Amino acid sequence: MTKRRKRVVVPGLAALAVVAVLLSAYTGATQQPDTVIKDRGSWGYSAGSSPQGRSPIQPIAFPHPTHVQTLGMNCLYCHFSANKSPDPGMPAVGTCMGCHLVIGPNRPAMNGRPARKSEGIATLQKYWAQKKPVPWVRIHHVPDYVNFAHMPHINAGVTCQTCHGQVQQMNRVYQYASLNMGWCINCHVGNVNPKWKARYDCSVCHY
Amino acid sequence: MATVTRPDEDVLRLGPNIPHANIQLPGVAEYEQVTREIQRTLYPTKLWFAGLSFAILCMLIGAATWAWQVYMGLGVAGYSPPVMWGVYIVTFVFWVGIGHAGTLISAILYLFRAGFRTTIYRCAEAMTVFAIMTAGLFPILHLGRPWKFFWLIPYPSWRLIWPQFKSPLVWDVFAILTYLTVSSTFLYIGLLPDFAALRDAEPRPLRKHIYGVLSLGWRNSELEWRHFARAYLFLAAFSTPLVLSVHSTVSFDFAMADTPGWHATLFAPYFVAGAIFSGIGMVFTIIIPIRRWFHLKHYVTLNHLDAAAKLCLFTSLVVGTAYLTEFFIGWIGGNSIEQSYWWNRVFGQWWWAAWVMLTCNCVLPLTLFVQKLRRNTTWLFTLSIFINLGMWFERFVIFDPSLSHEFEPWQWTRYAPTYVDWAILLGSFGWFTMWFMLFIKNFPVVAISEVKEIVPPRLRTPHPVEGIEVTGMHLEFEPETPGERD
Amino acid sequence: MSENPTPSGVRRREFLKILGAGGVATAAIGCSSDRVEKLIPYLNHPDETVPMVSNYYASTCRECSAGCGVLLETRDGRTFKLEGNPDHPLNRGALCARGQAAVQGLYNPDRYRGPMMRNASGRLVPTTWDAALKLLAQKLGAVQGSGRAGSALFLNRHESGSFPAFLDEWLAAYGMPAHLSVDPLADNAVIAANRQSYGVSWPWLAFSAARLIVSIGADFLDAWGANVPQQLEFADARARLADAPRFVYVGPRRSLTGCNADQWIACRPGSELAIANALSGRGSLDDAATASDVPVATLQALKAELTGTRPPLVLSGVAAGDAMELALVVNELNKQLGAVGTTVLPDRAITSFDGIATDADVNAAIDAMRAGQVPLLMIRGANPVFTTPRYVAVADALKKVPFKVSFSSYPDETAELCDLVLPDHHAIESWGDAQPMANVISVQQPGMAPVYDTRQTADVLITLAKANPGIASKFAAPNYMRWLIDRYPGGSTAFTLALEKGVGTGAVAASPAPRRPAVTPKAATPIGQTAGDMYLVVYPSAALGDGSGANKPWLQEFPDPVTKICWQSWVEINQQTAVKLGVDTGDILRVETAQGAVEAPAYVFMGIHKDTVAIPFGLGHTAYGRYAAGIGVNPGDVLPAGFDAKSGAFAWTATKATVTKTGAYTPIVTTEGSARQHGRGIAQALTVQELADLAAGREKEKVEAMPGMPNTEYLPGLRSPMAADAQGVVSSDIKHKEQGMYSPDHWSGMAKRRWAMTVDLARCTGCQACVTACYAENNIPTVAAPYQEVHTAFLHGVAGGNILKGREMNWIRLERYWEGGEDGGDFEARFVPMLCQHCGNAPCEPVCPVYATYHSPDGLNVQVYNRCVGTRYCSNNCPYKVRYFNWFGYGEPARPQYAWPERLSWQLNPDVTVRGKGVMEKCSFCVQRIREAEHRAKAEGRAVRPDEFTTSCAQACPSRAITFGDAADNDWTVAKLALDQRGYHVFQEQLNTFPAVVYLKKVNHPAPAASAGA
Repeated sequence: MTKRRKRVVVPGLAALAVVAVLLSAYTGATQQPDTVIKDRGSWGYSAGSSPQGRSPIQPIAFPHPTHVQTLGMNCLYCHFSANKSPDPGMPAVGTCMGCHLVIGPNRPAMNGRPARKSEGIATLQKYWAQKKPVPWVRIHHVPDYVNFAHMPHINAGVTCQTCHGQVQQMNRVYQYASLNMGWCINCHVGNVNPKWKARYDCSVCHY
Repeated sequence: MATVTRPDEDVLRLGPNIPHANIQLPGVAEYEQVTREIQRTLYPTKLWFAGLSFAILCMLIGAATWAWQVYMGLGVAGYSPPVMWGVYIVTFVFWVGIGHAGTLISAILYLFRAGFRTTIYRCAEAMTVFAIMTAGLFPILHLGRPWKFFWLIPYPSWRLIWPQFKSPLVWDVFAILTYLTVSSTFLYIGLLPDFAALRDAEPRPLRKHIYGVLSLGWRNSELEWRHFARAYLFLAAFSTPLVLSVHSTVSFDFAMADTPGWHATLFAPYFVAGAIFSGIGMVFTIIIPIRRWFHLKHYVTLNHLDAAAKLCLFTSLVVGTAYLTEFFIGWIGGNSIEQSYWWNRVFGQWWWAAWVMLTCNCVLPLTLFVQKLRRNTTWLFTLSIFINLGMWFERFVIFDPSLSHEFEPWQWTRYAPTYVDWAILLGSFGWFTMWFMLFIKNFPVVAISEVKEIVPPRLRTPHPVEGIEVTGMHLEFEPETPGERD
Repeated sequence: MSENPTPSGVRRREFLKILGAGGVATAAIGCSSDRVEKLIPYLNHPDETVPMVSNYYASTCRECSAGCGVLLETRDGRTFKLEGNPDHPLNRGALCARGQAAVQGLYNPDRYRGPMMRNASGRLVPTTWDAALKLLAQKLGAVQGSGRAGSALFLNRHESGSFPAFLDEWLAAYGMPAHLSVDPLADNAVIAANRQSYGVSWPWLAFSAARLIVSIGADFLDAWGANVPQQLEFADARARLADAPRFVYVGPRRSLTGCNADQWIACRPGSELAIANALSGRGSLDDAATASDVPVATLQALKAELTGTRPPLVLSGVAAGDAMELALVVNELNKQLGAVGTTVLPDRAITSFDGIATDADVNAAIDAMRAGQVPLLMIRGANPVFTTPRYVAVADALKKVPFKVSFSSYPDETAELCDLVLPDHHAIESWGDAQPMANVISVQQPGMAPVYDTRQTADVLITLAKANPGIASKFAAPNYMRWLIDRYPGGSTAFTLALEKGVGTGAVAASPAPRRPAVTPKAATPIGQTAGDMYLVVYPSAALGDGSGANKPWLQEFPDPVTKICWQSWVEINQQTAVKLGVDTGDILRVETAQGAVEAPAYVFMGIHKDTVAIPFGLGHTAYGRYAAGIGVNPGDVLPAGFDAKSGAFAWTATKATVTKTGAYTPIVTTEGSARQHGRGIAQALTVQELADLAAGREKEKVEAMPGMPNTEYLPGLRSPMAADAQGVVSSDIKHKEQGMYSPDHWSGMAKRRWAMTVDLARCTGCQACVTACYAENNIPTVAAPYQEVHTAFLHGVAGGNILKGREMNWIRLERYWEGGEDGGDFEARFVPMLCQHCGNAPCEPVCPVYATYHSPDGLNVQVYNRCVGTRYCSNNCPYKVRYFNWFGYGEPARPQYAWPERLSWQLNPDVTVRGKGVMEKCSFCVQRIREAEHRAKAEGRAVRPDEFTTSCAQACPSRAITFGDAADNDWTVAKLALDQRGYHVFQEQLNTFPAVVYLKKVNHPAPAASAGA
């Protein structure tokens, strides 16, 4: 009797388990908004519908810490349209060269720090010489039926780090948030910061 | 001292008009015969293989066409807006309707102790389950994005979104799934003792084993019978309201809409009556060939068919009344838009469909007032085909003329199904037939145990009065319990 | 304009286009983000642009000769929408359908990618600009050398402004005669008559000043003259309701203009002059009556009314042998009746039509070619092989020309016959100017870098001149832009200022060249004397114009405003005649004249005289791209040679024809279901009398109170529980009920607004500019091109297949209902734009099982494409039938039904999702514009200002019939209009849907004698 029951029950439960996993995988039900799986390679991504934690190799290993922390540059210096457009704006190669015409790849030893050769700057200057734009790999992506606009978020006082993480500390940028819809709503209803409450019906983003 | 009498000649002749007569099976002498004859039907034949493979072929045609439709988009079907629902929904409601006679016969008639159900209810019940399995496909395969169908099912989602519980389509999901679960359970429970009987009678080892598994170790004990009877009664009572509720829910898909010709309070009873009518039609279509091919004429007797035919006639009259009521309400309602619609339904671009419906569902069944025809299997079979056709057209007439002749005259339109619609309709019949074919060669098409209940028992001892054979009608001697001797 | 259009701009669109598939992929594999996408930055950032924020470049529309002002909406280096320039005196911010569709000309998939040269085997093959220019220079040299330069020809599609002057200068430098400025749509007769009567080619027509308008065949709402300003004026006139002018239309065929008339007098073609004479007292009424088949009484009444009403406006626009004479009579009549100076304003003349060569001139030129006198032919924009009736045999004439150069951007019939093709920029890529009115210069600037390897013709000519040592000195300017700036009155500063507004003051350089000697054209034989049993009327199609619109899917799928037929040619035939001939709609008729025959399906039509058949002109291309070639027939094939001897205007209406039933049948591709309202009150109208009664309160608007209805004082017309909730009107009634976002006290304040729309049917003329505007704004696919396979028997590769199935996607459609006329008498046409009503009690919302459609707190009925599973229940339940389903993957490039073949996809609006296969879509009240305005307001730390923005349809409408806004805020115009006494809702009484769209009843002006109700 028990053996017979096993014969029925085991495959049944297995099947159920598979369905459950698939569903949760699709809906991302297993996710927490703040879990971060670092450095999964350019194709790696966490479980669920979102490539959270994905951190692709960029054509130039751009060190945000150097620029933001060491040099104290403002995000808006390069991502110039984040506060006046739906699109944050990628810096034109010309913008980079504004400094890197002067700051070359080879830095002599100065005030205690050893001389170093920067691959990145060399590559950048190569692109500039060839008049080619830098083919950055996109990390944060929402499907096209989501009309996400940076401008209203920035103007509402949402910091870049809220959604993009501590970019100023990332030597290689990864996708910080899941960017799943539930994650958006969580903030829109004010769970993250009551000051950031915003309307949360579908037509805010989907049209 | 018991009075000893000869069995009443009339009773033995089993004239049709003797109320309790039609439960009698004069051709069946003893329990072993029942088991033997039913078990005999479980040997595959060439004809059966031919039928099965044809059914599978049809199903594959339908499946392939659907794959093509999913790839290309619904445009390959004949939809012409605003006719947004076409053959698929028509066929969906058609199959749901078919699915209703089974439970009616097995559950309601069981509660009413209508004896004639005994030999036909197994087929009817199987038909129900397979019909619902078929119907359940259509709401999915008519979707624009079928791979998203599970959004209609409430499950906790990362998006924090639930289905719109106000929508009759969500109610449908619940109705269909419930009905499928309950009716298949009911079928299985009813099969238990039969599985046991077959397990004991089956010579082929593999099948013997399978029946063993399926019979869940039925040992034919008093206790098991008591539980069985209770469970069966409970399920019968439980599924009875479903017979009414499920198709009412389906009818809400239309009654809840504002579309002229749909927006009617009449719809729930109207659909239920139609469903039962069509179901019984389908029962005839199925049972008549089976009793012929499986040599079960002495089980499914003319009396049974006769009684079922009367039920069919009655439901046909109900349906006819519903039709007339619809027209009457349309007229007396005084709403010009409704009136224009009703006129269009009968005399407009779809007059022919409407008249096919009226002929098949209201006119032809009237022939069942004639007893000769009720007992003429050829006619019953032909009629049942017409009824199936008529009931398909009933749904067509309800849905598509409404959609093509709505409030906005600028958007009045025509509708013509394409090869895709027809192929998928064919596929649905293939799918249904395939399951049924598999059923009839692996499960008893006539309920062995229940038939045994109405077969008069052998007496323990020879009858004191000589000349009286033991297959008498009187039961003052304690019958031996079925299977006691094993 | 950015020098290096960012590839990321392209990407965005490429990707929007895949989006439909994207959505599907999302569903299929649960994650669409696996693609490795690149973020391509600029190399150098163009200063004036911000990514994903539109720039608007003021320019000039070149789709017809009028020269309206447009704003080129440009983002990330791509111009994706044209909007009317509000500062422009001609079109005041409005734009017609043809103007809207200019972008589809710009991104047309069949445009020449670069210069083409005829090779040894006689086929046109791609070549380089250097090679092409070298060849042309050498040919020019040869012609000069042979001393035959004087008989070389340059045919240019007419455009006002400096280019003609520049061109003539250039030609003169080469010793060539002045060019011919071709415009097949121009009414040469009326222009000539106006010159004679007023000294200007096109006086301003002030409809709003008139009390009576009589148009004798002048289709001022179709293609006659400058139709946008005319329509604006006419709508303004009609908006005066009780004081509005009565409009009588005289003509054999009831055109769109005729459909807007209060009275239609059906006359025989060719009898218009007699009628005009009778009206002006020159001829007798009886003669006119016999000639025109109009009852004397009718003419009598019209004459009486005309003489009795001050000031009237009489117009004539026939295309017959006596057109100019008629025009002169009419001008005289206007003078007599004191119309000149009040309704006809020569001092505000439209100068766009100055310098158009007459059809006779073009014909003479073609004869010269045929005679082999033309050594070199250059054609820009014009397509004589198509637009000139076949009897002229232009193709043969071209064969006699040793070397032919085409500057056409498209592979049209003419270009295909040329030896060298130097594709011109599209107007959106070019510099230029126009002189629409005296002292008004409308500047034209490019919105973006060229799409293909094309060059602006003017620059090509300058390059050639520079290469020629003899004349290089005459062309100092490096390019045409500089040349323009040098000549511009006020110099570069004034030019720069003008660029900002799009219009400047002054006069552009005039052509130095002497006028060509007038030719004496072959006079048309009076139509009465031609052979045949029916009069044949050929008229320009409303959408396709002279056929130049035929390669734009928007215009092909644009239903004819009157017959509602698209993707097809048709023969209009009167219903009584049809009964006589046993013809039904769809029967293919053979229309035969001495010159040839065409066959097209019949359209049985009340609005055509019973002795007449009519065929629209513009279809029947043999080349010109995938959307044009092989669709419909060209009625030009059956027209005889014949001109108005006085003016040299071609006589389109010049022959009778024999009409026979072929027995063949083809379904008419129409968007029309039933043409009658069946008393359902969809398009409602009032007579002037009823309007007065309403105003005087003699006839109260019936408002039946219904349970739970909020106070009826609040926004009549928008009395929806939802709206009322939003306004807090009934929030008190709803006890202990959590209204969430819908509560007016909700922190989000979402429910404070109620987006709504009013449509003034008194203004609406049914022109359908709104339809095209909607296609342009909302990425609506066209579904019925021949290549868009329907996969249904009998519709295999048929143009219009999907429309025969009723699958057109027009989010806003113009319904045209007939009133009366069943007895064959006069009838009324009512137009009603039907779009999603955004009902307060939307029937579609509760039935969607997945919440894909729901009601947003600010009153929008929202469709969430990515949530839709495609049950289509919402559409079944929508009484207005304004929901449209994606039957195929119109947005998926890999599919045969793909609606935006390269590079039409560049036109897609980046703010709007391209819908995927199997989802429902519908009018969104341009929610993307609402959100954009809200974001802008937020960024500037303010609230959205009243009337700050509007929907695409309202913005384009040349009748100003549509008003959009927040009905809950009384500062918005719509809030006031919603209270208008003419307001009504469609189906509100039957269904309680509480729509957000308020229609204002049309006002009819019955004839004074018999003021029968409408």
